[in-house]
Amino acid sequence: MTLATFPASEPKPSWTRYFSFNTDAKVIGIQYIVLAFFFFLIGGLLAMIIRGELITPEADLVDRTVYNGIYTMHGTVMLFLFIFPVLNGLNNLLIPTMIGAPDMAFPRLNAVAFWLVPIFGVLLMSSFFVPGGPAYSGWWSYPPVSIQNPLGHLISGQGLWLTAVALSGVSSIMGAVNFVTTIIRMRAPGMGWFRMPVFCWTALAAQSLQLIGLPSLTGGAIMLLMDLVAGTTFYDPAGGGDPVLYQHFFWFYSHPAVYVIILPVFGVFSELFPVYARKPLFGYVYVALASFIIVGLGLIVWVHHMFPSGVAEWMRNLFMFTTMLIAVPTGVKVFAWLGTLWRGKLRLTTPMLFCLGGLFNFVFAGITGIMLATVPIDLHVSNTYFVVGHFHYVIYGAAVMGIFAAIYHWFPKFIGRMPYEGLGKLHFLLTFVGANLNFLPMHPLGLMGMPRRVSSYDPEFAFWNVLASLGAFLLGVSIIPFLLNMVSAWVRGPKATHNPWNAIGLEWLLPSPPAEDNFGEHVPVVISRPYGYGLGQPLVEHQAEIEQALTLAEQQETAR
Amino acid sequence: MTSAYPAPDAESQHAEAHEKHNLTGFIIFLCSESVIFLAFFSGYALLKTSALDWLPPGVEGLEWRMPLINSVVLVSSSGTIYLAERAMARGSLWGFRAFWLLTMALGGYFLYGQAVEWSSLQFGFTSGTFGGTFYLLTGFHGLHVATGVGLMTLMLIKSFIPGNYSGGEQGVQATSLFWHFVDVIWIILFVLIYVWQRS
Amino acid sequence: MTPSPAQGPRFSPLSVVALLGWVALLIALSLWMGQQAYHWLPVQASTAAPLVDGLFSFETAVGTFVFGGVISVMVWVMVMHRAEKYDASDAEPIEGNTRLEIIWTAIPFVLVMAIAVYAMRVNTTLGMLGPMEHIHLRSSVEEAGGYAGDRLPAEQVEVIARQWSWEFRYPGADVSTTELHLQVDEPVTFRLVSEDVLHGFFIPAFRLKQDIVPGRAIDLNVTPTREGRYRLRDSQFSGTWFAANQVDVVVESAEAHQAWLAAAARQPLQSGISDASREYAQRGQSSKAGWATVPPAPPPQVNVPGSNTLPHDG
Repeated sequence: MTLATFPASEPKPSWTRYFSFNTDAKVIGIQYIVLAFFFFLIGGLLAMIIRGELITPEADLVDRTVYNGIYTMHGTVMLFLFIFPVLNGLNNLLIPTMIGAPDMAFPRLNAVAFWLVPIFGVLLMSSFFVPGGPAYSGWWSYPPVSIQNPLGHLISGQGLWLTAVALSGVSSIMGAVNFVTTIIRMRAPGMGWFRMPVFCWTALAAQSLQLIGLPSLTGGAIMLLMDLVAGTTFYDPAGGGDPVLYQHFFWFYSHPAVYVIILPVFGVFSELFPVYARKPLFGYVYVALASFIIVGLGLIVWVHHMFPSGVAEWMRNLFMFTTMLIAVPTGVKVFAWLGTLWRGKLRLTTPMLFCLGGLFNFVFAGITGIMLATVPIDLHVSNTYFVVGHFHYVIYGAAVMGIFAAIYHWFPKFIGRMPYEGLGKLHFLLTFVGANLNFLPMHPLGLMGMPRRVSSYDPEFAFWNVLASLGAFLLGVSIIPFLLNMVSAWVRGPKATHNPWNAIGLEWLLPSPPAEDNFGEHVPVVISRPYGYGLGQPLVEHQAEIEQALTLAEQQETAR
Repeated sequence: MTSAYPAPDAESQHAEAHEKHNLTGFIIFLCSESVIFLAFFSGYALLKTSALDWLPPGVEGLEWRMPLINSVVLVSSSGTIYLAERAMARGSLWGFRAFWLLTMALGGYFLYGQAVEWSSLQFGFTSGTFGGTFYLLTGFHGLHVATGVGLMTLMLIKSFIPGNYSGGEQGVQATSLFWHFVDVIWIILFVLIYVWQRS
Repeated sequence: MTPSPAQGPRFSPLSVVALLGWVALLIALSLWMGQQAYHWLPVQASTAAPLVDGLFSFETAVGTFVFGGVISVMVWVMVMHRAEKYDASDAEPIEGNTRLEIIWTAIPFVLVMAIAVYAMRVNTTLGMLGPMEHIHLRSSVEEAGGYAGDRLPAEQVEVIARQWSWEFRYPGADVSTTELHLQVDEPVTFRLVSEDVLHGFFIPAFRLKQDIVPGRAIDLNVTPTREGRYRLRDSQFSGTWFAANQVDVVVESAEAHQAWLAAAARQPLQSGISDASREYAQRGQSSKAGWATVPPAPPPQVNVPGSNTLPHDG
């Protein structure tokens, strides 16, 4: 068979491609990630205002309506404009390269899905400038309060919010169809299901959840929009409607949504621990399958967000059972990672530190999760800062840290340069300390009875709030070494070889950065299971020749 | 980076693989789309069973005979679209166009029938949850029927482009799948709204 | 929970003892944390509180053990299983261990099921998760009859939540107030209604919370067990002055309660507590710009306004 040859030089593609309608998944991936971090900064700024307000008990920083709009937009931006896009960015970069495909199944659909994001992003941001201000009832938008529309205008912050979320749903479904088709249909020869990297398994699981769950949110949101602008009464008791119905529609999607967020991060951990422990992933098959058990269970737990809502007691008990069960496949993964680390040869690089820190935070969050699943406890802490602490531990403490780990790990591959270790470790330290300082105090606050979404609170809550705010400001600072690192490494970092981490995987058999069509027609045949550290087997046929060709090309490049 | 240009038969292999991708992707999309109908259906059922007075004042029930005729028309159109596909598989392009056009006509009649029914109703979109869910369900479904007719129009036009269907008919397959989907949704909707009229 | 090491050389007696010692330490720490957990919660002022706190303490102890175990492994591994500085070679290729997989699937499964069963028992004992009664309100509370006395058992308090105030009515005594008074050790049923949007009826010291859904009346039972003054907070986001929608609950002896009711019945109606109304009135004069808001409902007209600025116990 013909091998891919790697010509020493090629004309460098223009940077303007990142601002165009480009169908290369690797370009789209970078577009998603950079755009997502732009919105991360906006969401972060909103968080600083929130914590600035909450550093004192009184509502003295901003007007209460402003506070409510800000906390609502903080959550909405962070979810729909940061975390889902950044994960789609990782999917775009990693899925085709990890499975040996030249691109995604539907490249133009891919680009359309991306370009919807800045569109609905602008739409959402514009809601700050309409007369009534942005949506103000939290990212949940529970009726009736969310559609009270004090000014009565047709174009309201809430209406813009609903439209933006609907567009986000369209974009996500497009992406999901693409990712699922790609994974099912475009794997390299020899890559059966159980030779596929775990990241692809978790991506498949997560995107399946998007496909099944998103339409429920869309349906509920359409009905809410109709209640808001068309005078229907789906959720208005005066017209025979039921506010709790919205909650079912909302959470039927939004609970699986949290698995959409964490599953790829589980995938990242599963990819990185073997590399930086030089050891195979422990129980690879179980880790892969556990992803789908999580999918199944994840679809039947949504009422745990509604325990105090006014649902029947049998529902509370049933959903308590199903929710607790999710701890089991999740535990399988956690123990698998520990098994991978055990007796490994650990290298505490920046990506590894972020994974370890993420795992630490995740286990803590898992425990508070069990507490929240327990109905009598939840009836006390639901809608308090205990919940806010829990989910920020998962989202920031685990998911965001996992995303940072992924970025540091795959930056050399897709940008072609090495990020700076010193800045990376500083970033990790500030993030780990900042996140724990910010979110740990929220647990005693919730237990003591401080509700969430409040613009003011009783003085006895002041101490922990001050600590939390200090942690938040530290987190704000922590982003600086990250941005510095990304920008300077991109522009003038040391050039990366094709496999700086000495990792096993198809993407590491491509040059850094890969050509537009990755392996093109010359996809290597996969001949062994993934994560074969210490087993001394090649991953693909003719691996030695491929490595040789890559090294030769790099040497020629350096000689230039 | 590839060195050699792909060979011609590799290219048609590539195209064939891509066809399968397209159909896979479309099927996945349809599965997802069905969930939004499921959401609306469950909303309808929940609101209906928990309502004290489900029907708006002055409304005794829904007239079901005309919608039943409409349903027969729509279900038949699934039959005709199947026949159209069969004709195409046999290579009979004009046979395909004939059945295809018939399907479009039946779909168009369905939409007409829906509009006539809507105009004859004594309640509106804002007449309580009954009115809201009725128009939401039938309207959203009608939108899909209209989309289906639109897709069929597109495919019909494409069928006049020479050589268009010699290699494959994935557009026709997808459109046909969509049409069957719309049909099944209607059957469920009909049972839910017109058959199940007492609580 | 520390996973037992898969394979490898036999462990020396010393390391077995050390491991057991560490586990014992973790257990002691977990039990201690379980005790500490009680301090993180408000005073126990209802029959529900000890049950909820006991469950929470149990989960804290178990959680500490699990967390401690996982972290111990992580720290051990980070310290003892590090690659040598210039060692780029791979570690032992251990790909898995089916027996271990079974163990660490079965034990968590049993553990979470045990916790779930314990929690269900507490649910049943609590008894306050009673049946909900749907009463569909088509018009304002007054017009719907305002709950005529004969429809409610004697010890029932009607709770009317509004944007942004709380009104409590004692139909038996024909008393209304914005400071909830309850008799210690006496079961009471709240009938929760909202005139506008979702609210949350949350009394941390009682460990109870129930969303108030417009269009329904929801019954909630509780038995206060400790005299004192406690906070009642709105817990389901209800709009602009959601955070300010807080009042007090006073639990008092039987005599004090009867005396209060009697005195209250003699008071004329006056404006009750509504911090939102006060802030709304001052809104024009503030320098802080804001967006549009739903105006607050006027303060409820009650016999006894009470206060929400006195020190509270929890």
